Amino acid sequence: MSRMSAPRLIFAAALATGLAACSGGSSSTDEAPSAAAPLEIKERQDNFEAIGDAFKAVRGELEKDAPDFALIAARATDINGRAQRIEALFPVGTSTGDGFKTEALPTIWQKPEEFKAASRKLVDESAKLASLAGGGDKGAVGAQAMAMGGACKGCHDQFRLDDKK
Amino acid sequence: MPDPAEPAPARLQDVTVWDPLLRLTHWSFPLLIPAMWWTAENSKWALHKRLGLVLLGLLLFRVVWGFVGPETARFSHFVKGPKAVLAYLRSGEGGPAIGHSPLGGWSTIALIGAMLVQVSLGLFAGDPFDGMTGPLNPLVGVMVADTITEVHEAFFWVIAALVGLHLAAITFYAVKGDDLLSPMVGGDRPPMEGVAGIGPMPWVRGLLACGFAGGVALWVAFGAVPLT
Repeated sequence: MSRMSAPRLIFAAALATGLAACSGGSSSTDEAPSAAAPLEIKERQDNFEAIGDAFKAVRGELEKDAPDFALIAARATDINGRAQRIEALFPVGTSTGDGFKTEALPTIWQKPEEFKAASRKLVDESAKLASLAGGGDKGAVGAQAMAMGGACKGCHDQFRLDDKK
Repeated sequence: MPDPAEPAPARLQDVTVWDPLLRLTHWSFPLLIPAMWWTAENSKWALHKRLGLVLLGLLLFRVVWGFVGPETARFSHFVKGPKAVLAYLRSGEGGPAIGHSPLGGWSTIALIGAMLVQVSLGLFAGDPFDGMTGPLNPLVGVMVADTITEVHEAFFWVIAALVGLHLAAITFYAVKGDDLLSPMVGGDRPPMEGVAGIGPMPWVRGLLACGFAGGVALWVAFGAVPLT
């Protein structure tokens, strides 16, 4: 039986380490890295999240044989309203360089005019989508939805932390 | 135990329980599962995807190994009916001399199955307009992919619970004096009367199984395009 003790000891140590790592990891996951993150960070994240969901709903409709164009128009209008809020949700000092859990690159504040233009582009493209959807031409609406997606992507490529790396 | 006064006869040999490839596959899981969790929590999506595909290859290997591997690796050796499981629960008897017990066999199936489900969900997860996507994401619609992504996220807790159960069970057996850890590390357990172990490692079959699993994983990584 004496040969049991060594592996058992190793096992107990490994288990203890594993459990410690688990509990240490899970308790700290959702907390912001530093105290008092500006409210705008969460607000803009929720705003973009909602824009993403609305865009998904639009693409979901366009995958159907008979898309619900009223739904597409409503979602495009929602995106339009949210796109107009983007500019105001990026106060100075809320970039990736400021120690917050954010994907907002400092480039946003280095090229403010370009960032403004990029958010305006989403305002314009979503407005176009909303008005086109009323016409019920699936091809045209689909093309405009992709143009609006291009506005999302164009801004992400320039101003959002690339998390594909 | 032999009488200590008498010189021991030809010393019994340790019994080989688990083959090297099975052990390597097994120990990749406690490395990869936390790594998958960490890369997801920290948005390291390129790494998450790559490690996920490695995990897919390892799981596919384990499944193939369950048919062509040594005795203790084979599903036919350790997947038992409810009667055998109940008998084992009641008396602790009825299992094979080495390898998974009737209950442990089902735990193994649950762990491998849950990991396969999780990795498969990940293949379809994501949104091409918002960061990384799994290699099979284009095969499903955007709303289906959205639902799959949510399930993939929640299913991690099923994996975590099964891993917790697995560790608890090993601890339980360790307290009982049954060391399950050492054989999974070194492959061998102390000698047992009349038990020969799994015999030499079938390296050629091992290599073929690795090649097959790696090939399928690569094929999936490139979007599972039809081969014809």
